[in-house]
Amino acid sequence: MAKKILIIEDDKFLRELMVRKLLSMDFEIVSAVDGEDGLTKIKSETPDLVLLDLILPGINGFEVLEKAKKDPATAKVPIIILSNLGQSEDIEKGMKLGAKDFLVKAHFTPQEIANKLKLILG
Amino acid sequence: MEIKTGDAFPIEEAEEQENLMKLKDEEFRKIRLAFLNILEDTEEARKSAEKERNKTLAIIKNLTDGLLLLDDNNRIKLVSPAAEISLEQSAEKLIGQNVFKITSESIDIAPLLQELSGEGKNEVKRLFKKEIKLGEKFYLEATTVFLETGLHDKSILLILHDISRDKLIEAMKTEFVSVAAHQLRTPLSAIKWTIRMILDGDVGKISADQRDLLEKTYASNERMITLINDLLNVTRIEEGRFLYKPEPMQLEDLVDAEIKNHEDALQMKKIRIKLDMPKELLPEVSIDKEKMGIVVQNLIENAIKYTQEGGLIGVSLGKDENNVIFKIKDSGVGIPEDQKERIFSKFFRGSNVIKMETEGSGLGLYTTKNIVEAHRGKIWFESKEGEGTEFYFTLPAV
Repeated sequence: MAKKILIIEDDKFLRELMVRKLLSMDFEIVSAVDGEDGLTKIKSETPDLVLLDLILPGINGFEVLEKAKKDPATAKVPIIILSNLGQSEDIEKGMKLGAKDFLVKAHFTPQEIANKLKLILG
Repeated sequence: MEIKTGDAFPIEEAEEQENLMKLKDEEFRKIRLAFLNILEDTEEARKSAEKERNKTLAIIKNLTDGLLLLDDNNRIKLVSPAAEISLEQSAEKLIGQNVFKITSESIDIAPLLQELSGEGKNEVKRLFKKEIKLGEKFYLEATTVFLETGLHDKSILLILHDISRDKLIEAMKTEFVSVAAHQLRTPLSAIKWTIRMILDGDVGKISADQRDLLEKTYASNERMITLINDLLNVTRIEEGRFLYKPEPMQLEDLVDAEIKNHEDALQMKKIRIKLDMPKELLPEVSIDKEKMGIVVQNLIENAIKYTQEGGLIGVSLGKDENNVIFKIKDSGVGIPEDQKERIFSKFFRGSNVIKMETEGSGLGLYTTKNIVEAHRGKIWFESKEGEGTEFYFTLPAV
């Protein structure tokens, strides 16, 4: 069965590019455009993995991560941060909050990101 | 007293006596006059001294920098209005107090006194434009001047220059660049992703010409991303919060890894790299691995960039008593003599290098130097135009 990925990303174009790439690699995709929407969908859609942006309207990515990890229903879902922040402090904060990985958007291509997902999902 | 009459002094004697008295009288008058003249002069001198004093006081009062004058027992003798404002205290309260005993309810004065006294000694230290943080948004630059006007007249002038506003503007500038850089990364990511997907054939076949152009666009975009990263590094250097949790490690491992990262670039230009390391392990150095990686990467990239095809690069690691020493020698274009001084300044690029049209932001060596110095290391170079350049840096051994 196809693995389900939730993409939480507010930039429409980046989201579309990522969705297109992942669809072409036979993933099932759900997307959310802000933190609130993202948190709801982590619960309702039960994705196998979440790609999470940090700078989001409303509640930001760090808060989404923290809340998702605190909720026993969603704590086990692997979350990969995909953001354009990327200073050591941000990375450490993300990893401490329980992110599986921290990818800086500008440093990876969609293919490389998709490969990481495949690796994590086995 | 009994006064003798009758046969007193003989007449002549009395006359002589009278003449003498007259003479003395005359002398007294002259002396008196001289004294009066002197007094008048003194009065005039006093008046002019007072005038000078008023002038000096007016200057001190109107200086925008705060001044405190201390005597040789560190007691405050004079406080300028600007100093009253900086220390948030009135001159009356301060004058006569020992400078090390002053307290304040409104501001945290301790950092200033600490800087002033050096290490616990109650003696004023020599300071020159020492930046001191006294509050969230309150910074002073302190300078002490030792005045020796006479043998027993030593006083110290403490100058307080308020740099809070400069600091604020600097922070705003840095934050602006940092936010702008992060914002720029988003569209650059979109361009990168799109071009890569087209190149990968995700949206259909492309012709060889299209591929060629897109490959070049992709490379340009990658340069832009690198430039943004460099700018972010520079702003962080200037924010002074650059190093992140240094940990002891072997510099050998880092150098090894960085050379491996550049194998493709070396192969492309057919440049050989000769690595020279001592057989036994070097002492560990305490480094921020990511930042020190930037240093080694920058130096290797420069060596590759400026060395002709088929050239040789020598990298060696060694140590002296207290330091680990890194050395990289290229057979490149070298640094022109008249530009050697500016090699580590921001945005500087050598004139010979610009002509070669090699890419570069002029931020690499500036960043490199700052990282090395933040690790309490030193960096320098030797270079001859047309022959090559040798860069060295040292890091204190743990």
